[in-house]
Amino acid sequence: MLIVFGLYPVLYSLWLSMFKRNPATRIETFRPSWNWSKVFADDRVIDAVSVTLTYTLIALTIQLVLGLAIALLLDSDRKGFGLLRSLMILPLVVPPAVTGMMFLLMYDGSFGVISHMLYGLGLLSPSTPILAGGTSALWGVIIADVWQWTPFMVLIMLAGLRALPKDPFEAAAIDGATDMQAFFRLTLPMMSKIIALAVLIRGIDLFRIYDYIKVMTDSGPGTATETLTAYAGTIYFKNADFPYASTVALFTLILVVIIANLFIKIFKVRF
Amino acid sequence: MHDSTLKLTLRYLVSIIIVGIFVFPIAWWGLTSVKPISAVFDKDRIVVFDFEPTLENYRVTVLGYSKRSSKEDGKTLMGTSGNNSYDGRSSIVSSVIVAVGSTLVTTIMALLASYGLSRMRFWGSQGYLNWILSQRFLPPVAIIVPLVFIFHDMGLRDTHTGLIIAHTLINIPIAVLLLKSFMDDIPIDIDQAAMIDGATRFQCFWMVILPMVKGGLAATAVLCFVFSWTEFLLSLFLTNSIRTIPVKITTYVTSTGSEWGYISALGTSAILPSFIFILLVQRHLVRGLTMGAIKD
Repeated sequence: MLIVFGLYPVLYSLWLSMFKRNPATRIETFRPSWNWSKVFADDRVIDAVSVTLTYTLIALTIQLVLGLAIALLLDSDRKGFGLLRSLMILPLVVPPAVTGMMFLLMYDGSFGVISHMLYGLGLLSPSTPILAGGTSALWGVIIADVWQWTPFMVLIMLAGLRALPKDPFEAAAIDGATDMQAFFRLTLPMMSKIIALAVLIRGIDLFRIYDYIKVMTDSGPGTATETLTAYAGTIYFKNADFPYASTVALFTLILVVIIANLFIKIFKVRF
Repeated sequence: MHDSTLKLTLRYLVSIIIVGIFVFPIAWWGLTSVKPISAVFDKDRIVVFDFEPTLENYRVTVLGYSKRSSKEDGKTLMGTSGNNSYDGRSSIVSSVIVAVGSTLVTTIMALLASYGLSRMRFWGSQGYLNWILSQRFLPPVAIIVPLVFIFHDMGLRDTHTGLIIAHTLINIPIAVLLLKSFMDDIPIDIDQAAMIDGATRFQCFWMVILPMVKGGLAATAVLCFVFSWTEFLLSLFLTNSIRTIPVKITTYVTSTGSEWGYISALGTSAILPSFIFILLVQRHLVRGLTMGAIKD
């Protein structure tokens, strides 16, 4: 079953990507290199790669730093922190599509609560809603992503912190190390494996972002938030050019595999 | 480390504020779902608490009362629902069927596969593991186009069975690796002891190992349920008339404006089951999300 539904579609995709679709006659002819040369010449693909990379890097950095900080903050056995940790993971189970809608509601130019807060602070004017400007729209989507997935980082980091041995910290405290020194010299190096793993998992997911873009901006305004997967979706739905859509999707897959394997090699991640 | 009282208070305060920020959107969403329309769409100010709470939105989306009759008086009969495009009942039913179905199939298949992978070394077992893992790299978008064709040819498109198979496909890698990590925790001596006592392989699995991984099994099942419940892309592409909740909800956004009341009501109902389930297995959650790589 895994072969039928897992491997076969990829091969089928590859096969499909070798056809050229004539938009007028809807006839597909076998031209192996047509779509692939189109991918590398397509400006929208290049734009989409840069949007995807920007999105992934910014969101990943924020999530990692926030996640680690919050994990350190909540890593306590005192009363109440258990409850706070439980509340912290709630965003994880909200369907991403629903998350998109939530933020859509809060960003709304005329009655959105976040928009109103920003109006109050003078950071935003009602004439330019958050999701209408190119840069701010990308940030809007990133914030939704950060909201949903920082708890994931927190969870992993908490598990990592909990697994750390106690002795080195006691030794460091006796030797008069400050908390800062203990963190940078002990916690970070010992956590490096877990951090690398978390970055890998999140990075792959971020690279395949689709739900938020689809729900919140639908690649807009213009193509300012068009990621690779969103572009593939657009080709599929709007142009119905299935061969080209699967070419772009495969291109995404190849990029993910290359980047992920480089990362695994460089940081020696082990599962 | 002994925190001073001031430091401790500060830590509590900061923690509460941060967690508060993360809970806020959900709370706001829930609040929106019980607001009357006038409070949701107030342009001049943000209505926080000063409104008449109403269950109107839930009546329309979850119970399927038609919009108008529900507004006129509270006791009208079920709307014939033909004219109520905000009726979310069928999508709730679809979501439940698909989520429960795929959870069952995934768990059973993963249980058998993970036992084999955990206890036996056979030709290609490591390769098989790596390959399962690599499925995780796959952007669903990359296989969606061929999947649509395959499903169409097999007559699975727009059926519950089809969606169950699709969700099973994406959940199996996670489930297998997760269950394997739970089974690896059980020493192999136990198997050997059971088999020396005359148990067959299957008896050993069924009567000895299975009871010991019950907790892990529950965690896996819940995670599969949540993943299937929240899945969006496959459901969007593979169905037309059968809509799961996440897909259905996006259809409420229309060019003439979005019915935020209905959206948030259906959204809240969609989040609640996941909340309850996830709190039940919170202990195993870290392992689940990292596919067994991190043991808590």
